[in-house]
Amino acid sequence: MTTINPKKAAPYSVQGSLRKKIWNSKTLILMCVPAIIYFIAFSYAPLPGIYVAFVNYNYRKGIFGSPFVGLKNFEFVANSGKLWMLTKNTILFNLAFIVLDNLLAVIVAILLKEIQSKAFRKVSQTMMFLPYFISQVLVGLLVYSLLNSDTGYLNVVRGALGLEPLKLYKTGDPWPLIIILVHLWQKTGYNSVVYFAAIMGIDAAVIEASMIDGANAWQKIRYIILPSLKPTIVILLLFALGGIVKGDFGLFWNLVGRNPILYQKVDIIEMFVYRATISDFNFSTASAVGLYQSLIGFIMVITVNAVVKKIEPDYSLF
Amino acid sequence: MKKFLALLMAAVMVLSICSAALAEEISVENAKDVWAEKWADVDTSKHVVINYMTTGDAPTTGANAEMLAELNKILTDRVNAELNIVWISWTDYLANYNLRIASMDGSIDLIGSSTDWLDAWPNAKRGGFLELSEDMLAKYAPVTWATVPKEHWDVCTYDGNIFFIPEDNYSQWTNHGFAYRLDWAHEAGLADGVKTWADMTTYLKYVKATYGDKLIALWDTDGTAYPASGYICSFVKWRAIDGLASGALWGGYLDDPYTINCLYLAETDKLVEYAKLAKEWDELGVWPTDVLSNTGADNRMEFRQGKVALEQHHTQTWTGLVSPKSSTDNTMYLEDEDADVGFFYWGEEAGYVTRDLVTHGVAAVSAASANPERTLMVYDLLRNDRDCYDLFNYGLKDRSYAIDENGYRYTPDSYVADKDSISTNWWWGRNDDLEIPSAAMNWDAINALYDEYDKIAVMYPYEAFVFDNSNVQSYINQCNEVYSTYMKYICFGQYSGTAEEIVAEFQAALKAAGVDEVTAELQRQIDATYKK
Repeated sequence: MTTINPKKAAPYSVQGSLRKKIWNSKTLILMCVPAIIYFIAFSYAPLPGIYVAFVNYNYRKGIFGSPFVGLKNFEFVANSGKLWMLTKNTILFNLAFIVLDNLLAVIVAILLKEIQSKAFRKVSQTMMFLPYFISQVLVGLLVYSLLNSDTGYLNVVRGALGLEPLKLYKTGDPWPLIIILVHLWQKTGYNSVVYFAAIMGIDAAVIEASMIDGANAWQKIRYIILPSLKPTIVILLLFALGGIVKGDFGLFWNLVGRNPILYQKVDIIEMFVYRATISDFNFSTASAVGLYQSLIGFIMVITVNAVVKKIEPDYSLF
Repeated sequence: MKKFLALLMAAVMVLSICSAALAEEISVENAKDVWAEKWADVDTSKHVVINYMTTGDAPTTGANAEMLAELNKILTDRVNAELNIVWISWTDYLANYNLRIASMDGSIDLIGSSTDWLDAWPNAKRGGFLELSEDMLAKYAPVTWATVPKEHWDVCTYDGNIFFIPEDNYSQWTNHGFAYRLDWAHEAGLADGVKTWADMTTYLKYVKATYGDKLIALWDTDGTAYPASGYICSFVKWRAIDGLASGALWGGYLDDPYTINCLYLAETDKLVEYAKLAKEWDELGVWPTDVLSNTGADNRMEFRQGKVALEQHHTQTWTGLVSPKSSTDNTMYLEDEDADVGFFYWGEEAGYVTRDLVTHGVAAVSAASANPERTLMVYDLLRNDRDCYDLFNYGLKDRSYAIDENGYRYTPDSYVADKDSISTNWWWGRNDDLEIPSAAMNWDAINALYDEYDKIAVMYPYEAFVFDNSNVQSYINQCNEVYSTYMKYICFGQYSGTAEEIVAEFQAALKAAGVDEVTAELQRQIDATYKK
């Protein structure tokens, strides 16, 4: 953020001050250019395409030539009678993901920081990072190989111990937990990197000073590290909230897939839309659902940002 | 007077000969003359590439590339065009197929499609396919135009426009059923093989007890094939309207096909019976315990290898399973010389089967094609020209195939599938007039079943019906979702209460999803089509 000396800025016209502002920040702006181009190309330029959610799309007539049908494309999610249940499930899962992701990531980052042996730290960090790079399809297969009733690792071990097999693919109840655990296993290593970087960025002098003042390890974390991480936590939280109605389709589809015993317990918007529309290739309905999710996400971000601004103006996004 | 009569007679005879010559039927026999005449004034000075899109996995054999090179020489010579095949691989094929059509970037010209297993009508209605005028077809695809009868063009017509060319002269049966091990059925005491669902249970029990340890499963299904409608329609003569929903939800009884109903609401008792049978099979251990998550299985391959006892698909698939030499994957015949495969088809118990739709395979021209005329010309050649047909369907002579003294096709001794096989998935332009039967097929068994079908086959009653779904698609989507959810419970015995309870729950869910709205809309449009 460039601040302008009011004395200096006064004689210029508004335009002039803007030009001056731009000129002064030319390096910064230049560095932003790729990001600006990216967002214009992939986020702002396609915006008028939202209109596709309101038409009966015809390939030859194009988005704006196709007949307008109002809210008809929204009907199908609305009259499923499941919209509320699906939205609620999606939000609850995402809340669990956001809260646990950040909590675990902070804990892991702090623990990593406290590890004295560099070699051990590197090894454990890498091992936690690896699951992030495994494709969701493979994760689904891994989980199936671990948990299936006939040949799964878990049940083979249970069999060897003389225990009855656990038929997890025949009961829906444990699946919210399984999904959350798999998600955490996959994402924690990656998420902790940001916090680890933030911790590394804390002025060493502050920590040293606290040690001299006699702070123990716990007090150091409680009074120095955690407060320093607060802005990072809040910003990451705000970003995450924008996608709170967008489910992680890859994760759910590959773990639960077409098995209704399981998906009845963990159904999210994406899964339902996929099942209901896979045989009806329709851009318009898909866009209608997407628009609904984006709208809720937008409202969430605006609201939470406003709340954050009230409490701690420095931490808000805008 | 006598002279006059003689003259008159002579004149009549000359005239009749002339008219006979004029009306000489266009067929594959005289196709070359027809093309010479019709295409004489077509401007083919510019060389073009016709991109043909099909579903399937792209072949990597050298023979395939050589075959295409050979074919393109002929096509260049005849119509100054060459063919390129665009493959839509099987993973998520329907979405990718539709996406490619929707992209409208001119990258595809000729499209293989189907009204029952690929979205031919939705794509036509959304503007993806070019309307083919009668003039265009008569000019650029004259042999096809003349050999496809009017009533078959009619079923490819919507809103007065022809949208695709039917593969209507190719004998195949795509009615569904169970392929099973006939030799094991005989051992189980079923002298004629499996003829009823009760026989099927007897067979499964015998196989489980005798071979259970050696098999991966009796039926290593991934839980996405639902035999419920097959079961019900083995007892009542009912036919579904194809291409509406993912399952056989709507249709009518054959004695009154234009009164539309939903099978699963109309036949509660039969559905309950089936749910009980499925539970019995589940407890018998016909499929793996986690059948609904068993996505990694390849049951057909396992059947070929003798590792399972049941495969659910259509007659055409069975013809490959019952013919030992039709595929090198059919290793069950090597391990067990008694091996034999029977087919228990839906409707066998009630004694009827529905003939294939002529639109089960169709060819369309992309609306974005830059060369629709040349596309039709190439199609006409691929479908009706001996040289093109043989190359495109069978490959290089004496390498991919050879012909024996009886006129049957066989693979020569030098044949190695990895190098010499070809694949073009030309399921939209096969032609019985040019087909060379394969010596590898078990024609005795196949023809016996085809003869049986011919005796009991009925026509598909809704061929002229194209549904305008715009008012009820959202309900159809909901019903699809309910259907695929509950079919998994019902067809694999994966429910906890009684069969009656799960069926009642299914029916209530269908009603909540708007099944009756769809039935009513269908009835309205069926009335408009058939009760004029």
